Amino acid sequence: MIQVSNLQKAYNGVTVLNIPDMTIPQGESFGLVGNNGAGKTTFFRLILDLIEPTQGEVKIDDQLVMRNDAWKTSTGSFLDEGFLIDFLTTEEYFKFVGKLHNKTDGDIALFLDSMKDFFNDEILGSKKLIRDFSKGNQKKIGIAAALIGDPKILILDEPFTALDPSSQIRLKRFLTDLQTRFNMTMLISSHDLNHITEVCKRIVVLEKGNVVKDLQTGDDTLNELEAYFAV
Amino acid sequence: MLILDLVVQEWKKSYRAQGFYKNLAVSLLLGFFTLYMAAILLFIGFSLNEILEKADNTLNPMELFNGAMLYIMLMGLIIRFAMQQLNTFNLPPYQVLPIKRSLLINFLLLKPLTNPINYFLLLVVVPFAIKSVVGYYSVGVALRFVLSFVFLIWFNSLTGAYIKRKYGSSLLSFLLIILAFAGIVALEYFKVFSLFNISKSFYGFIVLNPYGLLVALLMVAVAFMLNKWFFSQNFYPEKFNSKIKSDKTVTRDLSFLNRFGVIGELIGLELKLILRHKRTKSILYMSGFFLFYGLLFYTNKAYAHNSGMLFFVAMFMTGLLMLMFGQWIISWDSSHFDSLMTKNIPIRTYLNANYYLLLAFNVICFVLTTPYFFFGMKIVYMHLTAFIFNAGVNIFLLLFFATYNTRKLDLSKSSAMNYQGTTYKNFLIVLPLMFLPMIIVGVLTSLASIAVALWTLATLGALGILFRNQLITLCVNQFNRRKYIMAEGFREGE
Repeated sequence: MIQVSNLQKAYNGVTVLNIPDMTIPQGESFGLVGNNGAGKTTFFRLILDLIEPTQGEVKIDDQLVMRNDAWKTSTGSFLDEGFLIDFLTTEEYFKFVGKLHNKTDGDIALFLDSMKDFFNDEILGSKKLIRDFSKGNQKKIGIAAALIGDPKILILDEPFTALDPSSQIRLKRFLTDLQTRFNMTMLISSHDLNHITEVCKRIVVLEKGNVVKDLQTGDDTLNELEAYFAV
Repeated sequence: MLILDLVVQEWKKSYRAQGFYKNLAVSLLLGFFTLYMAAILLFIGFSLNEILEKADNTLNPMELFNGAMLYIMLMGLIIRFAMQQLNTFNLPPYQVLPIKRSLLINFLLLKPLTNPINYFLLLVVVPFAIKSVVGYYSVGVALRFVLSFVFLIWFNSLTGAYIKRKYGSSLLSFLLIILAFAGIVALEYFKVFSLFNISKSFYGFIVLNPYGLLVALLMVAVAFMLNKWFFSQNFYPEKFNSKIKSDKTVTRDLSFLNRFGVIGELIGLELKLILRHKRTKSILYMSGFFLFYGLLFYTNKAYAHNSGMLFFVAMFMTGLLMLMFGQWIISWDSSHFDSLMTKNIPIRTYLNANYYLLLAFNVICFVLTTPYFFFGMKIVYMHLTAFIFNAGVNIFLLLFFATYNTRKLDLSKSSAMNYQGTTYKNFLIVLPLMFLPMIIVGVLTSLASIAVALWTLATLGALGILFRNQLITLCVNQFNRRKYIMAEGFREGE
């Protein structure tokens, strides 16, 4: 599904990410943890072709992502507010993204209906612009928009931060559901070790741009991670 | 000294803003422009006496000037209403600190008065006072004359800010003000009601009566108190912000674009972007005024035989919206660039959408400027050629060079006097776009004939339209080359 080979990113000669080889197969839930500056967002941006690798390449479905449009049909992503179009209302935004994936108005209405629980009645039905929503609600909007095109791959950067406790629990349930029902490949980064071990089957720990741990989630993964990050 | 701290912090805010130093080229250019304007104003100031003495009137120059005072005041208010940025001193972080609230408000109100741009017109007034008023009256009167003008500036600055804070700056209120002003001018013209005479006696009293200046000062005080009163009512930022934020979202129906598929969706997106941001909206309003720009040139005998200049105007008129918005194309998507790059939008489609948007702008402007055809067949040919050249050549130049704009654009501020995100590249692109065709027409007209010149440019434009697909491919490749640099620049922010 996603193949990373010899991937390196350096700024002014300082290597911030170095992943010699990594494969993320179809249907895997891939969790990325690491302290600030470990290279999590850089890794995601490289996969999404938003920054140019200094060396190496990323392939999605055996196609290079660099300067290519093919992967965009099957990938949904939300890293930060730059992934929103903040001068639209939520309905306009969902409709816009839906149309990009050739969805009809009926499809979009059906999709939004399925998100009702997650939105908790706060997102739809107001003429508010996205830029006027709170950070937490903006996050919900971004995550929903990433899902509207039935992606095979979902990439989320710290989806749990800024969400209220109920929404965090809903999101966890929702992500697990997506895995079991659609066999969706997921790449999720988080600072919350509890959440990430609950949602992801595989956990990769980055430190200063290098992979230092690559674990299949088991009973004592959480303890192992807590021990690793303990100071 | 608390007030000193505030001043220093405001100063730091401006020079610590990212891009303050990076933008040296633009600052220099603006500096030269300012000096040029200053020189012109000084020249006017020194020659105003002679000009007014020649006027067909029995009044002396200062009386004439006084008659214009209230007009200057009104014009100033209109310009301030359209252009003046409200002082964006950020209150909330200071509100929680133990600082007296009246001090904060006074600072907020009085700081704009220290802005040198307010006093630009003194470059006319002071030389005029020295040359003319001293001669006709005395040094004392000249001094009072200058002071009365300074008070007028203060009054205008305070009143302008008050009106803007209180009523917001919607297009409707602006149009109403313009209409009211036009009405006053018309009444004056048809000699029904003369603001000139009122102004003459009012300012005559202020300047000549020993206590006259007190009246002017009283006006300033009233304007100041009005502002104070407004802030006493609206000190809390939530209240205050809701007053400024007058733009409610009007979800316009753009569904007619649906039939064009993804390109239609993208064009709809850009149109919403234009209508929902202050900066793009004010560019739109400004373009409306520029539509009348042609009147200055086409009616002027001096330009009748200067084909190059006329063609420059023709290109500017028929390409108005394309040129005004085209220089920001792609970079106005800077705040959601990552979004567009990761959503299911092929780069070619994205650029095609931008191309069609610019093309639509061209067609709109061409149609809107057809009334100029009454100025003769020459103008018809010029506009047609300019339209073809804009649609076939300039459009691609804009798309191609847009990839060099890597600065994040802040669309939430009005465009007037707003050079945020402007770099020397914005000026560079204008050279091949506007001046090269102008020179070509000028040279070819003098070597051969105007027909040869226009046919040459029209052919170039037609070739561009014919090879549209190839040229778009060129732009797509360029975009892909520059994509990462752009994305990085847009993320950096200002």
